[in-house]
Amino acid sequence: MSDGTRERVLVAMSGGVDSSVAAALLKEQGHDLVGVTMHLWDASGEDKVGRCCAPEDRDDARRTCEALGIPHYVIDEREAFRETVVDPFVRAYREGTTPSPCVACNQEVKLGRLATLADSLACARIATGHYARLERSDDGTPLLRRGVDRNKDQSYFLHGVAPSILRRMIFPLGALEKHETRAHGQRLAVPNWQKKDSQELCFVPDGDIGGFVDRRSTERGEARVPGGVMRTADGEAIGAHEGVHHYTVGQRRGLGLGGGPVRYVLKILPDSAEVIVGSDRDLLGDTVEIEGAHWLGPRPTTPFEADVQVRYRHTAARAVVTPSERGFVARFFTPQRALAPGQASVVYVGDRVIGGGTMRRASMSSPTNEPRGEAP
Amino acid sequence: MRRVYLDHHAATPLLPAARDAMLRAHELGWANASSAHHEGRAARAMLEDARRAVAGALGASAADIVLTGGGTEAGNLGVLGLAGEQVEDLVVITSSIEHPAVERATNELARRGATVHALDLHGSLAPLRDLVARPIFSTARCLLAVQAVSHETGSTIDVVSIASMLPKGASVFVDASAALGKLSADRFVRHDWAVAIAGAKIGASAGAGALLVPRSIDVTPRQLGGAHERGRRAGTPDVAAHTALGLACRALGTRLQQMPRIAVQRDRLEAALVALGGVVNGAETERVATVTNVSFHGWRKSTLVAALDLEGIAVSAGAACSSGLDGPSPVVRALHPDEPWRSESCVRFSLGIETSDEDIDLAVAAITRVLARRAG
Repeated sequence: MSDGTRERVLVAMSGGVDSSVAAALLKEQGHDLVGVTMHLWDASGEDKVGRCCAPEDRDDARRTCEALGIPHYVIDEREAFRETVVDPFVRAYREGTTPSPCVACNQEVKLGRLATLADSLACARIATGHYARLERSDDGTPLLRRGVDRNKDQSYFLHGVAPSILRRMIFPLGALEKHETRAHGQRLAVPNWQKKDSQELCFVPDGDIGGFVDRRSTERGEARVPGGVMRTADGEAIGAHEGVHHYTVGQRRGLGLGGGPVRYVLKILPDSAEVIVGSDRDLLGDTVEIEGAHWLGPRPTTPFEADVQVRYRHTAARAVVTPSERGFVARFFTPQRALAPGQASVVYVGDRVIGGGTMRRASMSSPTNEPRGEAP
Repeated sequence: MRRVYLDHHAATPLLPAARDAMLRAHELGWANASSAHHEGRAARAMLEDARRAVAGALGASAADIVLTGGGTEAGNLGVLGLAGEQVEDLVVITSSIEHPAVERATNELARRGATVHALDLHGSLAPLRDLVARPIFSTARCLLAVQAVSHETGSTIDVVSIASMLPKGASVFVDASAALGKLSADRFVRHDWAVAIAGAKIGASAGAGALLVPRSIDVTPRQLGGAHERGRRAGTPDVAAHTALGLACRALGTRLQQMPRIAVQRDRLEAALVALGGVVNGAETERVATVTNVSFHGWRKSTLVAALDLEGIAVSAGAACSSGLDGPSPVVRALHPDEPWRSESCVRFSLGIETSDEDIDLAVAAITRVLARRAG
């Protein structure tokens, strides 16, 4: 019972190794835990192989909770997930951008809905298996820092989580390397400690995003995304494509251009159904415009230097960040490759997340900055 | 923490005498009851004793009792077995709030070509009168398939009056799983009806149920195998589970005597829930003593079930679903179509002969604590 002697902690259990070990570590530390698995998506048809939210994952979560001797509940968040993650994801691809669904999910569904549930279940704190670290500034502001395992670091996905929720979070894996997590899993006899990591987007387990967007569009009674022309930056038509949703800026594979020079998607123009391709060098940009920004502390008002990460697997690069009312502009010291509108851009000072938002536009403002070599 | 069990409509605790009888049956009646030898005869003797007890409780002949592996199997066998192989000429009359064991079976008949009418059979029977006046009933076969008591709200259905309105020769199947032990058997048994019961609702184990179906009525078996149960239900019966069922059937008189006391506890609980803002579902017509189904505005039923569980109170949100997902309750939705929120926010509190006054006090205190978390 919630008699106030021990804070009750809600721990989000996906059925994977990370959340299972996070729960086991908290249990070892003596916390009063409640395990919750969110059911987010029912895969159907070809998505069924290795699908997310599969009954096996729920069973793994349940088994872990049984082993730890903690209660476990499955909460149905399919509607919230569809409305705040999947539908916007499909819309974004149809509009020729590259969304960051994991950012939306963490912000709105995973942590947003969990916080409400935690209130209902009298859980003061919320724990997840994210690789990120939390500290507190002197004034109580939560400081979100990168996970120690830079290869697993998930702070990028968490930048939009409201500080009121971050303040309640516990990330037991933040200081661990992945192999240490597994070692703890083995030491604590977590039933699924050897389970394979999931790699693809959870609701597109086969990785075929174009096919997924097509299927969802059909299910929702939306027109197929029209095919169109693939052009070079000079306007020369060099091929056809089956819809802008099959492409993302920086993409090299699957362009169907046959031989010739290596080409990349430079730009996607949904209104005219054009995909612009070009060389690696043309992929460079040094300026990104961000909208819908979240700041973990007070909103900055003057330009400052920081490191900006433009996608999950990007090494944050030095930039001058100029905040505006609702967003910011980041101008990189060195041009960056493949700046894809729709993706989250996250601002770091050292390994601390300051804020972030959604990239609206990318450009090359000063091509002369770039040390030009001959194209190979 | 002292646990309070208020989910007797899902399963009742095993009667101590039934548990003893099961242990005895495991020692003495473990053999195959169809075997010709001494050990087989011992098992058979126990099984037949259980059959006589079930028959006695239903005022039927032992030869008319088909022992099944639970209530759902009995319900399926009743509906599909009476309907037979050819169903194109069959008109099925059922209620709009059946348990899935019956609802899915009538859906299956519709899929195979039967005409199925799902009516609201709790209030006025005028729609039924209009339906059976149609000319089709002079030629078609007619099957009534209804529950005597709603598993979710405890609402009773006047099966006797309904059956009296049916065309001559109509078959009647009654799902009495939620009625047995709560209403006297003359409310749901007639010599030419088929009646399903479930052990888990009357203090026996979940592995035993029975279908009363007179020998004169053809039943198409659902399982293929040996000639057990007069060829109506293949498979070696679980002697221990049925021994418990027989014992629980012999104790039904005592159970029925407790209903007025339980009704007082239920009414006290219900009054407290209403005072806390709850709205009672299905209270417009007669109900059995053991249950109150209450909706709390702004709460999801799965959250309330989890929150109460953590406070030591076991309740459920309706018919148990293996995955734990919370779609709206079809029963509450059918009873209150103008207020869809009720079916998203309903919780079933069901009492039993073990329920004490202190249980009610603890339950009221717990739900008061839980609801306060969202106050204001």
